[in-house]
Amino acid sequence: MVDPEPQVLALSSPPDDVNSVHALLEEVWAAHGDVPDLDRMAFETALIELASNVIGHADGGEGISCSLAVTVSEDRIEANLVDTGQPGNIVLSAVALPDDLAESGRGLPIIQALVDELSYSREDGLNRWHIARKRER
Amino acid sequence: MDFTVSTIPGDVAVLRLSGKLNMVSASALRDAITSLLEAGQRRLVADLADVPFMDSSGLGALIAGLKSARQAGGDLRIASVGEQIRMVLQLTNMERVLTPYDRPEEAYSNG
Repeated sequence: MVDPEPQVLALSSPPDDVNSVHALLEEVWAAHGDVPDLDRMAFETALIELASNVIGHADGGEGISCSLAVTVSEDRIEANLVDTGQPGNIVLSAVALPDDLAESGRGLPIIQALVDELSYSREDGLNRWHIARKRER
Repeated sequence: MDFTVSTIPGDVAVLRLSGKLNMVSASALRDAITSLLEAGQRRLVADLADVPFMDSSGLGALIAGLKSARQAGGDLRIASVGEQIRMVLQLTNMERVLTPYDRPEEAYSNG
């Protein structure tokens, strides 16, 4: 049976960083051995990009707190991330890749290429992010 | 992330990385490349055989290293990439700029 309960992580940065997210995903994959390698790889890449974005850009100087929930169901893998950072100035419609020698600006295009759903909202002073990837059949 | 430096024939410095290449380790990679350039090395290879994961921050550090190496009259190439890194290179259209070689020994075999 697939466990529909989310696996959760509370993260405060600093001192926590994206390695905590990698560690959570290790637990998620251990609990869901049936998720194919391609889906793991794609979802982990997308989620680390999202978490990096939140940790790296949402900090107004006081650090941020996030709560992350990852849920694996029979047909999809999803993550919901809520953070206390600055309001995101986010354009989620097709983001273009930057110039070849740019050192940043590829996170969002990578996420968009790897997930089927990506959404952002600001509610009650919190940023709410959602990504979901349909599992390979 | 850990680093090991070795040299191979052709005056090539191989920087072997070990660990995840993400926003936590990216600056250490930049520093390692800067140190090699300061030590006079010009033909650099990042050996990624022991890097199971790279994100856009890690890719950004490699691009920064590539630019620094070229400004110094050298180059930075990459070798031994795994499936996840290849996916990130493909998704970002960076395979033309950072072409992955199968082994560090092949990175400068044609000049």
